[in-house]
Amino acid sequence: MAEKQIPKMQKCIAVLWPSFLTAIVATGVFFSAFDPDDLFPFGANLEISRLGVYTIGFLLFWLVSTISGIGTLYFAITNCMRTNPDSREQ
Amino acid sequence: MVTPDASGPAVARQSDEQVEESLYAKQEKIYPREVHGLFARLRVLGVLGLLGIYYITPWLRWDGHQALLLDLPARKFHIFSLTLWPQDFIYLAFLLIIAGLTLFFVTALAGRIWCGYACPQTVWTEAFMWIERKVEGDRMRQKKLDAMPMNVRKFRIKATKHLLWIAFAGWTGFTFVGYFTPIIDLGQRLTAFNLGPWETFWVIFYGFATYGNAGFMREQVCKYMCPYARFQSAMFDKDTLIISYIDERGEPRGSRKRSADPAALGLGDCIDCTMCVQVCPTGIDIRNGLQYECIACSACIDACDDVMEKMGYEKGLIKYTTEQAMHGGKTHIVRPRIVIYALILLTIMSVFTYTFSQRTSLGLDVIRDRNRLFRETDEGLIENVYILKILNMDDRGHAYRLSVEGLHELELYTDTNRIWVGAGEVLELPVRLRVEEDDLQERSNKVIFSLVATDDPELKTREEARFLGPR
Repeated sequence: MAEKQIPKMQKCIAVLWPSFLTAIVATGVFFSAFDPDDLFPFGANLEISRLGVYTIGFLLFWLVSTISGIGTLYFAITNCMRTNPDSREQ
Repeated sequence: MVTPDASGPAVARQSDEQVEESLYAKQEKIYPREVHGLFARLRVLGVLGLLGIYYITPWLRWDGHQALLLDLPARKFHIFSLTLWPQDFIYLAFLLIIAGLTLFFVTALAGRIWCGYACPQTVWTEAFMWIERKVEGDRMRQKKLDAMPMNVRKFRIKATKHLLWIAFAGWTGFTFVGYFTPIIDLGQRLTAFNLGPWETFWVIFYGFATYGNAGFMREQVCKYMCPYARFQSAMFDKDTLIISYIDERGEPRGSRKRSADPAALGLGDCIDCTMCVQVCPTGIDIRNGLQYECIACSACIDACDDVMEKMGYEKGLIKYTTEQAMHGGKTHIVRPRIVIYALILLTIMSVFTYTFSQRTSLGLDVIRDRNRLFRETDEGLIENVYILKILNMDDRGHAYRLSVEGLHELELYTDTNRIWVGAGEVLELPVRLRVEEDDLQERSNKVIFSLVATDDPELKTREEARFLGPR
């Protein structure tokens, strides 16, 4: 499973999709424990509705888990290339 | 010519390399042939039923409000007469666990019937393919259209299809948001082009996901993205319902005249018409055995039964069966795996039902005044100040009686004589507790606040707090 054998699209999905699912769970747990109105006492000035805070929270969670997913993919691929040098030429 | 495999169809004949190749090969578009028959009718029924539920539910009314409204902006879930609060999140987690275990149980029993009939991916793909067929025509016409260079006619047909898809997807996204914010209000603002930015974002996001998943990704979602498709085989055993081609009966396959006697030609019942391959939404050949791409939609059963009928052969060359039955054994419905799954499921369901029945629609939070630990009054009593947050989660208002215990001759003072909290409201009530210094045993003492509705003694709750003193 060297890098070149996996299409770019599939790599994108392999990172974005699980992190999307993780972000949904994280958003659900986080915002059921914390009310945005209590979290950001100064946020009222920004006039972002709760729905907006949820959305931003969700996107941030998605971003964070995407970064972690990219890391996993990167280490998996580079490790595979190191232990199996032939695969680089394919 | 393929010879029957002694190990049975459960073992795919493809070698590892072939599997690898098909996994990473560039995807070719699959044009599934339309199929008619018993299972196709069942699926259409399932699709219409589930889509109906999805699109109609947010419009249902109950007692003057939306029957099912997961009101995220207000942080309240309305489910008919029930109102759930963020602190009830545990029940949602319970429900998700129950749903997951139910899926395990059903999978062990009946294989991937979820995938074939009820999965949203299947349901919306089916709807999108129906639109595609109405606009572009059947399989052959679709292939021809895609192969021809762009011209006015092709552009017109493609544009019509995509416009219909986008409209349908947009409506799906709108309905989705309608589960989370009141849909009638949302509809009115939509027609006035006055949607909020976040609502617009989610309508487009969900609509786009529907359009992409059901219009383009289709079986690739099942093959590459679905976690369930990856691990469902762990729930399978020899007695699980699967869709299988009966090797012994079908092989050796080969075409023949309708009048020909297969026995004389040395052929099995499979006439190699490839109808089962043409109807397959994931583009596999079921005759190669059970494959993880198979979503058990049973389109091949319908297609093959139709052919068998035309040939005058017995139906069921491809059918719902179990590995056990294929090898001449008897299928056991009750078996350890099923019993264990059922027991776990029943236990969790009982725990859920019990805790849910114990749920009280009254919440009490005690927050100590942060400014000072305690105060000595002019009469020489030790005083602690608290803020009580009383949360009435019931659908009507109540008056409550507050009491406190834990220390000798503990006195309770509030600014009001009558504690009244309206339906779904939170009351912040400052409370002072006073006690003789001599009655304090320690620096920090346990006190318990009790709250009970005056009109319903069953509606009560208790909350612990600390009373601090100089000692």
